[in-house]
Amino acid sequence: MWIYIVRRLLWLPILLFAVSAVTFTLGTFGPGDPVVVQLGARYDEETADRLREQLGLNRPVLVQYGDYMWGFIRGDFGESLRFRGRPVRELIAPKMWVSAQLALAALIISVGVGLPLGFFLATRQGSWIDPTAVAVALFVMSVPIMVTAPGLLWVGCLKLGWVPCSGWGGFFDTRIIVPALILGLPGIAGMTRLMRASTLDVLGQDFIRTARAKGLSEWSVSSRHVFQNAMLPIVTILAFSVAGLIGGAFIAETIIGIPGIGRFAVESIFDRDYPVIMAITLVGAGAFVLANLLADISYAFIDPRIRIT
Amino acid sequence: MKKFAFVALTLVAIAAAACGGDSGDVAIVDPTPILSDSEVAQSQETQGTEESTSQATTEVETSKEIVSDAITEAPSGGVFRRVWSDPPTLDPALVTDTTSSGVVVELFSGLVALSTDLQLVPDLAESWEISPDGTVYTFTIRADATFHDGKAVTAQDFKWSIERAANPRTASPVADTYLNDLVGIDDVLEGRTTEIAGIQVIDERTLQFTIDAPKAYFLAKLTYSTAYVLDRENVEAGGSTWTDNPNGTGPFSLKEYRIGERIVLERFEGYSRGGNGVDTIVMNLAGGQQMAMYENDEIDLTGVGLFDLERVLDPNEPLNSELVVAPPNFNISYIGFNAQMAPFDDVNFRMALNHAIDKELIANEVLSQLVTPAYGILPPGFPGYNPELEGLKYDPDRALQLLQDSQYADPATRPRIVVTVPGRGGTIGLDLEVILEMWHQVLGVEVEIQQVEWATYLEDLNKQKFQAFAGLGWEADYPDPQDFLDILFHSNSSLNHGGFSNAEVDALLEEARVEPDAVKRVALYRDAERLIVGDAAWVPLWFQGERHVLIKPHVKGYRLTPMIVPKLTQVRIEK
Repeated sequence: MWIYIVRRLLWLPILLFAVSAVTFTLGTFGPGDPVVVQLGARYDEETADRLREQLGLNRPVLVQYGDYMWGFIRGDFGESLRFRGRPVRELIAPKMWVSAQLALAALIISVGVGLPLGFFLATRQGSWIDPTAVAVALFVMSVPIMVTAPGLLWVGCLKLGWVPCSGWGGFFDTRIIVPALILGLPGIAGMTRLMRASTLDVLGQDFIRTARAKGLSEWSVSSRHVFQNAMLPIVTILAFSVAGLIGGAFIAETIIGIPGIGRFAVESIFDRDYPVIMAITLVGAGAFVLANLLADISYAFIDPRIRIT
Repeated sequence: MKKFAFVALTLVAIAAAACGGDSGDVAIVDPTPILSDSEVAQSQETQGTEESTSQATTEVETSKEIVSDAITEAPSGGVFRRVWSDPPTLDPALVTDTTSSGVVVELFSGLVALSTDLQLVPDLAESWEISPDGTVYTFTIRADATFHDGKAVTAQDFKWSIERAANPRTASPVADTYLNDLVGIDDVLEGRTTEIAGIQVIDERTLQFTIDAPKAYFLAKLTYSTAYVLDRENVEAGGSTWTDNPNGTGPFSLKEYRIGERIVLERFEGYSRGGNGVDTIVMNLAGGQQMAMYENDEIDLTGVGLFDLERVLDPNEPLNSELVVAPPNFNISYIGFNAQMAPFDDVNFRMALNHAIDKELIANEVLSQLVTPAYGILPPGFPGYNPELEGLKYDPDRALQLLQDSQYADPATRPRIVVTVPGRGGTIGLDLEVILEMWHQVLGVEVEIQQVEWATYLEDLNKQKFQAFAGLGWEADYPDPQDFLDILFHSNSSLNHGGFSNAEVDALLEEARVEPDAVKRVALYRDAERLIVGDAAWVPLWFQGERHVLIKPHVKGYRLTPMIVPKLTQVRIEK
């Protein structure tokens, strides 16, 4: 298994290189120019040229790219173009940390509710609870974030006054509740449905019948044999849902006013702050690869039959 | 004694639909967070030229009274909370936008300032003399003028700061605009020398400026932050991030700036020029639902958008008592034509498009009367505004006739027409949709819309690539017709995006630049405006209507001004 992990990790730099090349090419040759955005209505060619020189944007594209990558390898993500003189790492690190905590809270909500609920529904297949709950889950999943966000704000903040309407105070602050719900609710539904399907699948397997036949208690069958096996497909989905959370984070962060990376990334794109865009893309890609790797590794622990080689 | 008239200096492009309905676009374009809040005119002062020609001394005295009134009050303490956006810069020399300016004018200051009534008032200068020929200004700096760290402000500091702003290495996009009256400025702007010949340090507290012609508006230009004083040691020691710890002279010092989170300003105890009220200003930069935040008492002020307006206007609604209806900002939105490109190179065709639009109908039925139809360029209440200007009113018959007279009457040979708008939502604004339909119905002219994202839009706009463009507006930072008309329509102006060129207009604008008599000057501008409108350089669309802002009852003294001026020192929190 170690060989597998090392091999996967060796792919990481190659993948990051590919991602960086694509991002850089799109940024540089796509429309829009950071200097033009900065000067806005006051654009004039001379000032623009001077700025390009100061920001190093007048250098040949390959030199810019090489320079950036050389810095990146050494852990230096360059300086922001929009916030002149600010190291990118200093800008994005605290924002990524905020978004990571928010994503974790959302994940806890969707997994914490979704898994037990899905499992429970699978064991109640055939009763009225099952289709009702699935219908509700589907409905919740289908409501767009643009509806849940103001809705939750209106109820939780303005009507009931339980939580503030905006801001961020860390993982253990009440202000995390609304954004975590906004991000986590659709996940509950997805998780419930997946867990239900997966559990049903396992329930129909021969080894469950065997387990029951050899007289194991229902609790033992459920927890040891059904739940563990049903978890397998979920783990993969978990890794992917982290990526989905990052997408949803932009809207949640904007509506609630959270200083996270989602909103910052979008603003950086609109302002063509290339070093920031590159850093966020690369860190994101790296995190995604690692999450998948973790999922693969955890397979081996959940199901001893799987041997990763 | 010199007379002075107000001068328009900066114009900030705003890409908002006139009604400001799509706050997303507003945020990208002109990152002023609360577009509609951004302060409102006390327009009576600037109503006409006659009023604005009052002598400089009178204005100075009046404002001194205001200042001394404020001093007698004890500080109220407390915190004033509002939403803002990350300022693109806090360096006074680089400010081009209201988001930056709103913070910079509170942290730094200059020789003179604009009061909340838009009057020119002394700031770090206690007095000044103007030579009889109107070209030499001698300022005396206040004896108690200090930086936040207690160091005295000297004439040398001003000289260094202004020369720094003009130095090409500073790369200021606005130094040329605001400082170009100083003798010898070009040598510095073009990098031939670093010292401006027209700035002389007489002694520690005496500073002399020499300008190239008796320009009545020179003092007013000095209120812009390019002429603010900086602490040389602070700037040079701080490198490219010196604004993280700025040692300014303004009424507030920067206590904290966390990008994307908040700016906290703290009252500067050594500030002696009046109005010491609130202790702390918290500017929330993380965004959020402003109405909800206001209602939940998380912020003290918010603009009211189209969607909340009906509720807030209802007298039974508790919020109604906190509503402040403020007069409009000085801005105009328009559809620009590229006069160098077919079919807009034909004046008849441009006029036909103008006459085919029923602006009254759109303003009343589509935009809920939040805007005023524009037929001229200068907004109502603005110096030089011409209430008698007829403009190109809705007249379908005349529109058709003009179309027939134009060289593009035949749809078969008429070039394809594309209007480009900025944005990322897919919606182009209700007004534009109706206009396209009117062009189709009245003239049978088909127009296509192309929407591009803001960065791309700006780039192509500067290159004059667009055949026609909408979604742009102009906002005056400063009440004077000069830059409204000169910057947007002089054929040499880099901001004349449509390449409009009329030799007669150019001549009028150039004459007005140096005309010392304010009444004559306005007459020149009115002539120019009439020609511009008659030539159908644009379709002027809307002037902003009244603005609706909610302010918490415990906040006193917050003035809604039509442009950014230092004013937070007058805010008092009375809880």
